[in-house]
Amino acid sequence: MLSILQKTVRPVLAVRGLHQSAIEVLKRPAPEDTVTASFGRFISEIKFHHLSPVVLHRSKRMVLDSIGVGLIGSTTDVFELALQHCQYMYAADDISFVYGRRGARLSPTLAAFVNGVATHSMDFDDTWHPATHPSGAVLPAVLALSDMMPSNSKPSGLDLLLAFNVGVEIQGRLMRFSNEANNIPKRFHPPSVVGTMGSAAACARLLSLDDVRCRHALAIAASLSGAPMANAATQSKPLHIGNASRLGLEAALLASRGLEASPLVLDAVAGVAGFSAFYEDYVPQPLESPSDGGHSFLLEEQDIGFKRFPAHLGMHWVADAAASVHQLLVGVGPGIISPAQVQDIHLRVPKSKYINRPLPKSEHEARHSFQFNACSALLDGEVTVQSFTPFAMGRPELLALLSRVHMEHPDDNPANFNRMYGEVQVNLVGGEILTGRCDTFYGHWRNPMTNESLAKKFRNNAGTVLPSDKVESLIDVVEELDRIGDCTALLSQLQ
Amino acid sequence: MLRKFGLCELFGLTGPASPHQGITESFGAAVHSLSTAQLTEGVINRSKRMILDTLGVGLLGTRTAVFNKALTHSQSFMSEERSSVWGKSNMTLPPHYAAFVNGIAVHSMDFDDTWHPATHPSGAVLPALLALVETLPCRTSGLELLLAFNVGIEVQGRLMRFSREAHNIPERFHPPSVVGVMGSAAASAKLLGLSPAQCTHALAIAASSAGAPLANAATQTKPLHIGNAARRGLEAAQLAQIGLEGNPAILDLDRGFGVYYKDYSPSAMPDSTSSGFRWILEDQDVAFKRIPAHLGMHWVVDAALAARGKLVRADRNFDLGQIRQITLRVPLSKYIDCSSPATEHQARHSFQFNACSALLDDKVTVASFSEAQISRTALRELLSRVRVETPEDNRPSFDEMYCEVELETVEGQSYTARCDTFYGHWRKPLSHKDLVDKFRVNASSVLCTKGVEGLIDVIGNIERVSECMILGSYLRMTSSPHEQLYSVRYM
Repeated sequence: MLSILQKTVRPVLAVRGLHQSAIEVLKRPAPEDTVTASFGRFISEIKFHHLSPVVLHRSKRMVLDSIGVGLIGSTTDVFELALQHCQYMYAADDISFVYGRRGARLSPTLAAFVNGVATHSMDFDDTWHPATHPSGAVLPAVLALSDMMPSNSKPSGLDLLLAFNVGVEIQGRLMRFSNEANNIPKRFHPPSVVGTMGSAAACARLLSLDDVRCRHALAIAASLSGAPMANAATQSKPLHIGNASRLGLEAALLASRGLEASPLVLDAVAGVAGFSAFYEDYVPQPLESPSDGGHSFLLEEQDIGFKRFPAHLGMHWVADAAASVHQLLVGVGPGIISPAQVQDIHLRVPKSKYINRPLPKSEHEARHSFQFNACSALLDGEVTVQSFTPFAMGRPELLALLSRVHMEHPDDNPANFNRMYGEVQVNLVGGEILTGRCDTFYGHWRNPMTNESLAKKFRNNAGTVLPSDKVESLIDVVEELDRIGDCTALLSQLQ
Repeated sequence: MLRKFGLCELFGLTGPASPHQGITESFGAAVHSLSTAQLTEGVINRSKRMILDTLGVGLLGTRTAVFNKALTHSQSFMSEERSSVWGKSNMTLPPHYAAFVNGIAVHSMDFDDTWHPATHPSGAVLPALLALVETLPCRTSGLELLLAFNVGIEVQGRLMRFSREAHNIPERFHPPSVVGVMGSAAASAKLLGLSPAQCTHALAIAASSAGAPLANAATQTKPLHIGNAARRGLEAAQLAQIGLEGNPAILDLDRGFGVYYKDYSPSAMPDSTSSGFRWILEDQDVAFKRIPAHLGMHWVVDAALAARGKLVRADRNFDLGQIRQITLRVPLSKYIDCSSPATEHQARHSFQFNACSALLDDKVTVASFSEAQISRTALRELLSRVRVETPEDNRPSFDEMYCEVELETVEGQSYTARCDTFYGHWRKPLSHKDLVDKFRVNASSVLCTKGVEGLIDVIGNIERVSECMILGSYLRMTSSPHEQLYSVRYM
């Protein structure tokens, strides 16, 4: 059983002599004035009352959606593989629940790992701006950690929500340190960079670590961050979220045992990279102490995007655009689309290598293919979970359409989830030209999914592995999360 | 895809690769097909020295605070397969966590080997392999262990030659966290006998576990970079074994392994079965440390000792109070420039501290980095008289740097000494006797004589050993606490 260490204030650091004789005097700010220290203080000082009604509402929606996609994700091959790995390499440990698998429990960090993998396994999880998948990195870790706590002192629903929001907030703050983070990523997969940090922050919060240990948790996590984009669109991508969750939790646990790391990890120090190693441009900002007059969470200003189908966010624009063309075609024709009608298809999308795939060969690639999602929506009127099955992917009609796609990257279409658009132009053999354009798909933060739509998505997802009474119970529990005294009510329904 | 002119070609390291093969696939193929027949005497000798030294520093490292924290943390995991924790007679851990803590032990005091281009190659690989050996159903011979070890080293060396950035003292990512995990994955894949495709995927999966920022060097977390490299490389190989796939072009792409470097020019691994194959270790040896501190410190200590010697020879009655100013001429590298270290970790990464320790004590040893020693008034006094210069011609590269120490007395006398190559550097390797002595001192702090001598014997003859599990038994032969108390010696 983990004993939550409440450490007294650390002894004051030995005074460092600033030697006038030294030519290169390393000017170091006093430990309390650093960006890193401000983050540590924030995590330890934030309180329930800092959560506004809007933030509570939005984060509960994120929690529900995240659990739902995690549950359906537990039916995937990559999840199975990750689970088997954990079960072979480690013994069963009766502690933390595995999504959707009755009776399966693992050590907390391993549960965080597999549940994180599940959450991102189908690319169905939430997306934020600047771009990352915030919930999958944080929720599995805080749930697993809650399972670890003694049964007579489980966190309340509000404890859980606060920790969750800390984890999301830290991610948002870190992404605002660079311009690079604003665009569709090219180098490091963002969840592997900020997700680990968010998980560490959330877990440090839930463990009630003091500000110094919170700071060390972040610094330890920085050494566990960073995975290259090249593994996106492969079977390994979900592990980026799984590992973010797991390693962030580990970092917090190690910090709670007294492990120390760089006190300047978030600060910009010339010649020695800290968290800045992951960005080409990096300008960190301190976080104001919430005790001095409140705190406004980023989630208040910038909502989340939820996905309607399991594919990269960019796909949602072309799918909606293509779906509107499908409606037009269905309106004028025999009711189904035939490739024979289509001469060619032009897609106007932002330039981004890893989501430009003319002929995807796996479900992972298909989820990262403008072409595939546009053609699926053109053919079927929508893209769904079923669109990525081997059968659907192999349909001759679909392949025929795919072979007729031309890609265009207009200058006014930036690779940025806040400003991009998707346009689909279909030239019919008869000479007619049909165009659809989507600036804001339904589910984007500018056009958020209604609570009903979100609940429907959750029911469809959770219903693949849980009986309907548990599904409904989960919807109720999450809705009431800020009012329940013991989060076991939530933890016990996940499988 | 257009292949850029690689650094490997500059060094004449490419050979004929199979046609139609990407770079990553060539690595996968080589990891799979390199065989014991390719191990030369030179490589066997050098890698045995690395294994012995690594075990010694690892054993000594099991008495550090960071090791104990990691051990406590790791004990909360359960598993059916268990692997030995070095220096503990009655404790085992899940194999990943054994690799983790033993790797941490190896790097805990910055006492482990260093290569050029710069990384600590052995600590990322050996703990993973030894943990894995204990779980395999069939016997692993010493030669097989040696082969897997060398595969892990070779892959690291090859990867570092993909960029110019890697040739200098690092600034962004800590190299063991970048190439170490890849080496561990390759070595583990070799020992597991994975197929070429699986070896390729092991590397791809490992790449997503690479990359820790340099800012955590000079802190208590630095050793975890090696521990995690060992652990996560092993994990990557095991995930590949059960079929997980990553990007099979991970080494080919800028947005793959290239993300860790500003300039990135990969090239294929030559066909390992061709007669032209040459291990990098054959041509580029490692450096072994005499002091548990960053490699750069070794130059400044040798120079400081020499300058001190000159001062003493000139004036037998000298005392340090007569030194007005100490000037250090060193390469520019922020993370080893620390004018007033507060922790042992900072002290191990401080030109100033190591120079002053040498001047004060006429030696720098394991004991020099204790809290009591760091906070000595006399030392602090000396530190206040240090100034650091970074001459243009002092390149921040372990292959090219030098250190100069100039002592100016109050009477205006000046004594200067310079070190270009410290004893233990690859240009001036430790003798066999001195390497074994270092091992004995380190290992004796934890193991009984039987264990210490047993390890020296087994490693010395490893290519003839038929079953490696014996290593584990020796690594667990601890001496009694009474003996440990009295076995502390200084190098």
